[in-house]
Amino acid sequence: MKNLLSLLLLVGTAMAKEDILAYPRAYWENSVTVWFWVAVAIYIIVAVPSIYFMVKYRYRPKENEEGAHIEGNTAIEIVWTVIPTIIVLFLGTYSFANFVKQRNAPEGALEIKVTAFMWGWEFEYPNGKKVYTFFNQVADPEKNIYLMPEKIDDSAKAYIPAGKPIKVYCTSRDVIHSFFVHEARVTEDCVPGRITKLWFQFNKPGEYWVFCREYCGTWHSRMASVLKVVSEDEFNKWLGGQEAQQTAPANEPAQPVQQ
Amino acid sequence: MAVAHVPPAGTWYGATLKEWVFTTDHKKIGMLYFITSLIFFIVAGLFGLIIRFEQSAPGIQLPGLFGQEGTDLYNYILTGHGAVMLLWWAVNVWMGGFANFLVPLMIGARDVAFPRLNAFSYWSFFGASLLVLLTLIPGNWIKMLWTGYAPYSMNDNAGPTSLYVLIVLLYGISSTGGSVNMITTIVSMRAKGIGWTKLNLFVHAIMAASLIQLFGVPSLMGSVILLFTDKYLGTNFYNPMLGGDPLLYQHLLWFYSHPVVYVMILPAFGVFSEVISTMSRKPIFGYISMALAIYAIAFVGFETWVHHMFVSGVPDWLRVLFSYTTLFVGVPTGIKIFNWVATLHKASIRYNTPMLFTFGGILMFLIGGLTGIPNAMVSIDLGISDSLFIVGHFHYVLGMALTFGAFSGIYYWYPKVTGRMYSEGLGKLSFWLMLIGANIMFFFQMYMGMVHGMPRRYPDYPPIPEWVQLMQIQTVGALIMTVAILLSLINWIKSLGGPKAEENPWKSPSLEWSMTTTPVGPNNFKKYPVEVPDDWHPYAYYKGYHTHI
Ligand code: HEM
Ligand SMILES: [Cu+2]
Ligand SMILES: [Cu+2]
Repeated sequence: MKNLLSLLLLVGTAMAKEDILAYPRAYWENSVTVWFWVAVAIYIIVAVPSIYFMVKYRYRPKENEEGAHIEGNTAIEIVWTVIPTIIVLFLGTYSFANFVKQRNAPEGALEIKVTAFMWGWEFEYPNGKKVYTFFNQVADPEKNIYLMPEKIDDSAKAYIPAGKPIKVYCTSRDVIHSFFVHEARVTEDCVPGRITKLWFQFNKPGEYWVFCREYCGTWHSRMASVLKVVSEDEFNKWLGGQEAQQTAPANEPAQPVQQ
Repeated sequence: MAVAHVPPAGTWYGATLKEWVFTTDHKKIGMLYFITSLIFFIVAGLFGLIIRFEQSAPGIQLPGLFGQEGTDLYNYILTGHGAVMLLWWAVNVWMGGFANFLVPLMIGARDVAFPRLNAFSYWSFFGASLLVLLTLIPGNWIKMLWTGYAPYSMNDNAGPTSLYVLIVLLYGISSTGGSVNMITTIVSMRAKGIGWTKLNLFVHAIMAASLIQLFGVPSLMGSVILLFTDKYLGTNFYNPMLGGDPLLYQHLLWFYSHPVVYVMILPAFGVFSEVISTMSRKPIFGYISMALAIYAIAFVGFETWVHHMFVSGVPDWLRVLFSYTTLFVGVPTGIKIFNWVATLHKASIRYNTPMLFTFGGILMFLIGGLTGIPNAMVSIDLGISDSLFIVGHFHYVLGMALTFGAFSGIYYWYPKVTGRMYSEGLGKLSFWLMLIGANIMFFFQMYMGMVHGMPRRYPDYPPIPEWVQLMQIQTVGALIMTVAILLSLINWIKSLGGPKAEENPWKSPSLEWSMTTTPVGPNNFKKYPVEVPDDWHPYAYYKGYHTHI
């Protein structure tokens, strides 16, 4: 039940945006809300008459034995071609508008290099600091299952400053992997021989999973790591270098740069 | 030359084993395909259940049974489930089974255009089937998933790539032969008086699906041939370390593998149309727009493949462009759904098993279609790509709309093929269980993918209590579905000894019902060549052709 409530919350309050946990999730939620209500409306428009007809026009001996001879109706068929076309254009354009913001990192983002490999991740920070994560570090060695983030050793977590956009450049050393941060609702494949990009920003300190979302072999389902989102001070202390001193945009990211 | 033809005694199926093996009769070949598909459906379904059980708890359970190989076994089973469900069940139950049996009957032909090519197509499909069985042997496990993405598929971890390539090639040869046969048959062997506007919508669907196969399969075969030469002969099409491009593989694969979903679903639409019209005793609403929508879907289907690659690193403008084209498929699809609903208006609806499965199929398709929109809206896809949401969505569409369509078709034509009547009670029970089970299973799968972001193809996941709970709910749904499918299988087998069916139990004017005996005679038609009156139409219920042709 709690699950269903969270779904309703998602589609009901996304527009209210009081407490934005993460970007580009906020833009994602706008699109989801629009889709959800359009889908519900279409569903009702189709389901209500269907059920009505199914009950009203059922076969009844001696009363309703033959269907009427109706072959079609051009006017109504044009209507239900034109209106869906308009809806399609609307949905496409709405998604396009959000997509531009989801894809282009705001100015002043902290840039991180991520290299995926079978089966783990290497994070490299601007000052050269590197963090490696693979399943051994996020697993309970005895039971051989995932540990929850609280129990994982901090040395195996990638630190991220809160309230600051992070731009990730991703590539892979072997096969295709995919960098996925669920709480920020972003995914981008890491392709050998290519550099792909994505960005996200967490406003609330906490620990968030990263999973691999492109099938990559035996331990695909264990290719996880943890992002530890901390205050900017704490982050700088952890990083230990001179990097990341650009001013943080307060909670709201600056306008995305077109590239 | 109109020769009144007296069908020889006996039914279409009575023959010795040797005659079955060397047959070129479209009905026998159709049944060979059909039975092969059904066997593989059952096997792949069992694989699906194993996947479900593995995911019911965090951690990897299969190693307990199979040592360290457990994860690889899981990946093999998932590969098998996906590939076999798609290629053996979803495509070939229609293109091999239903189309072969029904198309000649629906257009008034004695056989398909190239009967020997037809037999050849079946036997290459059979060869591919044997190779699939070989993968059951440990050491032969193919673990690259049905998509076989390069460069992973060139990695030794992925299993025997050469076997995978050979299977796909044999399968491709079979499909190409089959589609050439269907297209030629429909274009050139329609009986006198059956124009393009008097074809059953099922035949239009097979025509469109065959065109897709003809244009798409070469791309699939090309993609795996390049894979083969890359892995074994030192070429570098996909290997980025040597200047190749892994995305090339994805473009070639999806150029076929997206349109092929319409090969799977258009014939189901065809069955929905046949059954709705028959059981409502009413012509299908908007016949012309229904037929045009079929071809529009097939055509636009070729312009949408990049939506499988929205997060693969392709340029942003390409993602936006393909977002629009993908969404656009919704328009002709919507036309079809609206027309079905309109057909019910002022109908006289009989609620028997085929009709229930058709209603269920349309309902599942509606949900599947509406949940396809987020995959097409590129801004949403960034958050749900490769998650269980996608898996839930396509199980609504393929897993269920398609399977409901196939079950509806099997019940509907059961009397025509076997001469016997199935059991309605068992059929209806099977339907209700399947509807309930499928919705429990796949709704929560989608829900989990969207709200919790669970990635697809995961045997293992963090022990978050909510995740575990959601996974177990799905397992309950899968078990209910399993019972439902078993009930239908029992029904079909048991009813072979059931009561004799009437000649035209649905009182349909469509040729396969009105002009053949039940079961069909060896030469198909009571009178040959077939000729139909000028005002004949397969959906002309109001004219009572079932009684006087
Ligand atoms: C009979 C009931 C079925 C059950 C219980 C079932 C269950 C599943 C499960 C649990 C997965 C794995 C999800 C994941 O973690 O990625 C899966 C994947 C899949 N299923 Fe099914 N399924 C069923 C029927 C079907 C049917 C009828 C089709 C197609 C016509 C189908 C096609 C697929 C495909 C293509 C995949 C994806 C495989 C991959 O990721 O490569 N399934 N199914
Ligand atoms: Cu990976
Ligand atoms: Cu992976």
